[in-house]
Amino acid sequence: MKKLLYVASNELLLLFKDKMAAVWMIILPLALTTIMGLAFGGLGGGSEPVVIDLPVVDQDGGEMAAAVLDILAQTQGTYLHLETEYDEGTARQLVYDGKRAGALIIPAGFTADVTSGNPTALDLLVAPGGQTAPLLEGMVRGVTSGFSSVQTTVEVTISEVQRATGSYDLDYDGIAARVVATAQERLENPPVSTRVTTVGNAEEEEEFNIFDQVVPGYAVMFAMFGVLGGAGAILEEKERGTFKRLLIAPVPKYVLMGGKLLAQFIVGVAQIVLMFAFGALVFHVSLGGSILGLVLVTLATCWATTALGMLLVAVIKSRKQVHPITTLIVLGTSAIGGSWFPLFLMPKWVQQAARVTLVAWAMEGYNQLMLFGGGLNDVWPDIGVLLLYGAVCFVVGLRLFRFKEA
Amino acid sequence: MTLVEVNNISKTYGDTRAVDGISFGIQQGEIFGLLGPNGAGKSTTINMLCAYTEPTGGQIRTDDIDVVAEPERVKPTIGVVPQDIALYPDLNAVENLRFFGRLYDIPADQLTRRIEELLRLVGLYEKRKGRVEHYSGGMKRRLNLAAGLLNRPKFLLLDEPTVGVDPQSRNAIFEFIQALNAQGLTILYTTHYMEEAELLCHRVGVMDEGHIIALNTPQHLINTLGTGIIHIGVQGGDEGLTAQLRALPQVKAVTYRDGTLIVETVDAQQALLDIIGLFNETDTPMTALEILEPNLESVFIQLTGKQLRD
Repeated sequence: MKKLLYVASNELLLLFKDKMAAVWMIILPLALTTIMGLAFGGLGGGSEPVVIDLPVVDQDGGEMAAAVLDILAQTQGTYLHLETEYDEGTARQLVYDGKRAGALIIPAGFTADVTSGNPTALDLLVAPGGQTAPLLEGMVRGVTSGFSSVQTTVEVTISEVQRATGSYDLDYDGIAARVVATAQERLENPPVSTRVTTVGNAEEEEEFNIFDQVVPGYAVMFAMFGVLGGAGAILEEKERGTFKRLLIAPVPKYVLMGGKLLAQFIVGVAQIVLMFAFGALVFHVSLGGSILGLVLVTLATCWATTALGMLLVAVIKSRKQVHPITTLIVLGTSAIGGSWFPLFLMPKWVQQAARVTLVAWAMEGYNQLMLFGGGLNDVWPDIGVLLLYGAVCFVVGLRLFRFKEA
Repeated sequence: MTLVEVNNISKTYGDTRAVDGISFGIQQGEIFGLLGPNGAGKSTTINMLCAYTEPTGGQIRTDDIDVVAEPERVKPTIGVVPQDIALYPDLNAVENLRFFGRLYDIPADQLTRRIEELLRLVGLYEKRKGRVEHYSGGMKRRLNLAAGLLNRPKFLLLDEPTVGVDPQSRNAIFEFIQALNAQGLTILYTTHYMEEAELLCHRVGVMDEGHIIALNTPQHLINTLGTGIIHIGVQGGDEGLTAQLRALPQVKAVTYRDGTLIVETVDAQQALLDIIGLFNETDTPMTALEILEPNLESVFIQLTGKQLRD
């Protein structure tokens, strides 16, 4: 055990002595997190359409309800995938569980109220703090506002026609004045409105902070860079000859490898802790309601990352291959795994494909705790998968790793 | 007393036999050399002796411990100086030695004293706080050597410890090795520099293609196998000229290779006069002439037909 700690402490000393490591592992992640958080303060900074799954419960079934669905389905810039198969209870539960950012309920009698000019409302359920909630709210309000205008126009037109049929003498100035006055009145008291209800932990539903997504996302990504880069150091040692010297010394192989992996694990944890501390202090990132959950997700993530590093070192032949391969893996899995954008915003097939990455499980855990107000019980599946992921990578990596060159 | 016994060891990688059934013993307090060109099997032999590589066959005993069966018992008693500079360039000399020393379970206070002692011995004490990456090649070699001595080994294995070293540092390393041996340390020294083997080693095993092709003291090898060798540059191998050279009284053998006649002689000086006379008589132009006095190089050439640096 003592020798394992000697090996680990030497790894950390080597890292400490490497000036560029501080840039890559501390300054760059913090700077990039800050820049990305500020740049993507609103959802969807890119030009590509965003896809959101939105359960819609149509309790009305009328003409106006169908029109609402048509309008939502044709929303520009953001593609809403409307899910009409759920009942209200299921839709509410999906939002509560953080599996959907929101759900729309079209109440019974909606069509009748719109056509008769009675006040009515669409019910939008949103997840607390979910970054798509403001977007959904804006989109639904846009629809209801449109219906208000329609109702206004209908009301004014009908009254004018009634009046006109009596006298056949249209008062164009009067019509215009009444349309404007009615529109103003409807604007202040819209007959068709949106009732927004937050479903989930009400204490966490304060203003959405983009850094709640960006900080864990980039923390996981850079921890992977750090740990996998550290794994590459083992190949560097093999090429330099120091690994041979260690094997010649009276140190069991598992102690040698254990010490090196322990150091990488510590580096990963330290990076994530640093990023979270920075996020909490500077950007007031919400650490969620379960610090224990956060700690366990972090430890499981770093274990899985360290073990993945072990596997990579076992299959990569030379140090020159390390950087391109790890960069491809880290950026690829971060992109689809939810480090850059929440996983639930991705297309279905991406969400499913992302399940093979450890990033997806880590980010699901962090999002559950930090965005959706979940607790420890909500992240056990993520922790379990990450631990299993790490165990598989570790066992396979250890079997394939060649301690000695032929 | 025999400290190291090597009995018929071999090492095979795929279809390649890197070491093919070699045997030798090393006496306590001896500097035993393995001399041979690159690829002869010297490093593979060292790797097997220090339990880094398991032999395909054969037995190795060091201090009466079976190296293959009980590597963990052998490792604390041996020191290895690998051919590569096996040091961390980002660390300084003390940090390097402290880390390697800890792996041998040396108590902290003893280790601190041992590090200081070794750094003074190899002349690096004043530079001990500088990062190794800023050391010269010779300084790195000396620190590499010191790292192999941290555990006060009974048996030190040096794998070409002077490769890439300037003459001044090389001499310092020679003196250091001789001083260690004077204190009773048993050493296995591999090299492809015959001067080093002649200067340092009590006995030398000449290796080529995985075999030990001769083994004795350097002087004995030179006396029994060494001949004066004359290299003569010619334009084309003339069979007639070769036959005439072979007929000269001081000449033992003649071979032609790549524009050079390699003439093995009993006495190079005497033979040279006859050879020049023959070339004048036959009006054959000489493009180059080189005389090699009897030494391990000429022993190797005679045994293998190759040069050590081939």
